[in-house]
Amino acid sequence: MALPNPALTQIPDSYKYGWHDSEQPPTTFPKGINAEIVEKISRVKGEPQWMTDLRLKAYRHFEARPLPMWGGDLTPIDFQDIYYYVTGSSDGAAQSWDDVPDYIRRTYDKLGIPEAEKKYLAGVGGQYDSEVIYHNIREDLEKQGVIFMGTDQALKEHPEIFREHFGTVIPANDNKLAALNTAVWSGGSFIYVPKGVHVELPLQAYFRINTENMGQFERTLIVADEGSSVHYVEGCTAPTYSTASLHSAVVEIIVKKGARVRYTTIQNWSHNVYNLVTKRAVAHEDAVMEWVDGNLGSKLTMKYPSIYLLGERAHGEVLSIAFAGDDQHQDAGGKIIHAAPNTTSLITSKSISKGTGRTSYRGLVKVYPGCEKSKSTVRCDALILDERARSDTYPYMEIDEEDVTIGHEATVSKVGSEQLFYLMSRGLSEAEASAMIVNGFIEPIVKELPMEYAVEMNRLIQLQMEGAVG
Amino acid sequence: MTTVTNPLTLDSEAISRISDHLDEPDWLRSHRAEWWQRATATPPPTGEEEEWRRTDLAPLPRDAELLLDAPTVEVTAQPDATAGGLIVTDLRTAVREHPDLVRRFLGTSRGQASHAHFWALAQAGWTGGLFCYVPRGLTVDGTILARTVLERADVTYLPLTLVVAEEGSSVTLLEEVASPDGGAGWFGGIVEVRAAQAAHVRYAHLQQLGDGAWNIGAQRVEVGQDATVTTLNAEVGSKVTKVGLDVQMTGKGGTSKLLGLLAAGDDQHIDINSDQDLHASYTTSDLLYLSALYDRARAAFYGVTKVRAGSAQTSSYQECRNLLLSPQAGAEPIPVLEIETNDILRCGHGATAGAIDPTQLFYAQTRGLDPDAAERMIVRGFFEQVVAQIDDALIRERVLASLARRIGTTEAFA
Repeated sequence: MALPNPALTQIPDSYKYGWHDSEQPPTTFPKGINAEIVEKISRVKGEPQWMTDLRLKAYRHFEARPLPMWGGDLTPIDFQDIYYYVTGSSDGAAQSWDDVPDYIRRTYDKLGIPEAEKKYLAGVGGQYDSEVIYHNIREDLEKQGVIFMGTDQALKEHPEIFREHFGTVIPANDNKLAALNTAVWSGGSFIYVPKGVHVELPLQAYFRINTENMGQFERTLIVADEGSSVHYVEGCTAPTYSTASLHSAVVEIIVKKGARVRYTTIQNWSHNVYNLVTKRAVAHEDAVMEWVDGNLGSKLTMKYPSIYLLGERAHGEVLSIAFAGDDQHQDAGGKIIHAAPNTTSLITSKSISKGTGRTSYRGLVKVYPGCEKSKSTVRCDALILDERARSDTYPYMEIDEEDVTIGHEATVSKVGSEQLFYLMSRGLSEAEASAMIVNGFIEPIVKELPMEYAVEMNRLIQLQMEGAVG
Repeated sequence: MTTVTNPLTLDSEAISRISDHLDEPDWLRSHRAEWWQRATATPPPTGEEEEWRRTDLAPLPRDAELLLDAPTVEVTAQPDATAGGLIVTDLRTAVREHPDLVRRFLGTSRGQASHAHFWALAQAGWTGGLFCYVPRGLTVDGTILARTVLERADVTYLPLTLVVAEEGSSVTLLEEVASPDGGAGWFGGIVEVRAAQAAHVRYAHLQQLGDGAWNIGAQRVEVGQDATVTTLNAEVGSKVTKVGLDVQMTGKGGTSKLLGLLAAGDDQHIDINSDQDLHASYTTSDLLYLSALYDRARAAFYGVTKVRAGSAQTSSYQECRNLLLSPQAGAEPIPVLEIETNDILRCGHGATAGAIDPTQLFYAQTRGLDPDAAERMIVRGFFEQVVAQIDDALIRERVLASLARRIGTTEAFA
């Protein structure tokens, strides 16, 4: 992956994939969470009182709420065994290249890092542990008044616009993990696109976990003002450590009248990460919101990007790909809430389970009374590659308006033996043939990805099929 | 008629009062006592369960008087139907005349997990029902009609229907239940259909309960090797219906087809949850439920298809379509898949909800139909997807006549 960050290119050879530093983190609070830690986080960041109060309020919600009992198994998470605030880099002694599991190293060796596309990327924000240490915005964007910076920095530099929108899409008490994020958030991206401004090139940020048991609680807030447009790309690659790691981000997006936002994520956390993310967007009149969500890594992902269609003729789309290999559980999907007339939505989900992996599509389409002429289509396809793999589909629909067209369809299939036979008769190995079939299966979503991601996705699938990964 | 105290607080003593009243043998007394124990050990749904989130049980008229003197099930069959050893009769009669057979098949399953409490209550507290036994190899000609008409609405009645089709037998059965409007009652019927190897069963259930009835029922179907079972549920009456459908595909090569027609209006609430459980290889299970929803009616459908690890070449589809005919009508179709193996032949589901396509309405009106007639014709056409699969003339006729209350008659378009 492209890392045009000069700070990262100067790191030693043993760290050639750019995920490890040998310095001691300058600030690390002890493991565990309590009101004191939450307050300290706010104080060390020099935040205004309202944010400190909000963090404390969110912490009380986190404490009061039970763990979700649906979806994946969250009981192994020990919330008191996690670092909630770390800056700088990590403890070097325990984390050398040799500590990185073979499967990750093989993946990196085989993947290479496609850099071809970096010219096309407008700016890069790298999240380095919990602090955003680097942002690169093209000058012309700055001239247009686009704000693209770390969320912490935005709180300081753009307090009015920040406070006006922060926590309005996902309130502190939304769910247990969103409450945790609100209490301890650090880092993430803040984007404001002024009225009528079209950001032509995708904005991009890299997120990384660098300290054992370090939770990543980044907080992203995107505001696209009337008639503007932006595409934000978030990709994660994480090294693996021996103990479970928690990633619990919150992403809030406000798409104002006539604006358009696309948010693309490829998640490839190492297989010890619990990835429990709350992502939600509100789309006003004539706005378009699109989530493109790829889940390849992590031990368990629970993530259901949602869109509230609040204005007439708003349109929402969720494109979701999930791949679950051995011992992985991808519980992903999407939610669309039709809260205005003439709104339209489309959810397309493609999931693949392999080995003992499990993919679950979980989604909701809700239409409130009075939202006439709303239309929604949900299409879920699952491919099960092995006898022990599992695939579930849980599509919820709540329709309280007559004059609508709502449809859901799902299929589950295996790789056809005739398809395999045909491809192998043309000289492909079984793994190559399977990879080709799987790549064809996810093609409708991959073609929506920025090119470097599409290339990487296809390679990853190929590696998975060769049994070279996981 | 004897009044019994609140059936849910019914204790073992009250259960034995049923046995006294019906002069039952000892084995049946202990059967009831045992299931009463299970009913008390299995708490009623709390509303937290996925299957019970959409139906609030709090207003269930639990205090309605238990119907001790239930009406006898009127059975109509072809005159020579019983010649080959077919038994089809009121369950109380069957207990007297065929105690060994009834004993062999009564309460052999605990029922669907979501309805386990109600299943146990009916096993303990049934006061009427139907027993149908088709001996090995017998093909029953014609359609058996079993009709229960309650005279009062404000009662608790937990009937039990048992249909056993032995190896290679074949039977078609239409069961109808009806009760008067007015008065809150609790109808807690449970149905168990067992199809042994290569048996062929068609079971239709036509529900025409009164507008105060709470229909909290469960149907369990077990499909043996190479057996074929088709069920049809036509839900027309009741205030609230919450039915659990449980299909166990336990024998290799078995086939099941679950069909449903729901026509609801006023403030009717119809909530169905299904389990299509494919354990055995080469089994096929398809479900098709269609709802036409008028006024403020709501239909919820939560259906789970489970394809178990170790099964091979199974085929299943689940389809739920809702036609919303009023701005206040609502639907929540939720088809769930849980697939534990990759060796599947076919698996999928579809769910839709929406209004009539205005271009269809317009077209029908250009052909001279008034808007109401056009709507009726389109609804009837919507139902045709299921009606066309009802190959028994008597069942088709009676189901359509019953649906006419909501969707209008079909003669006008004949």
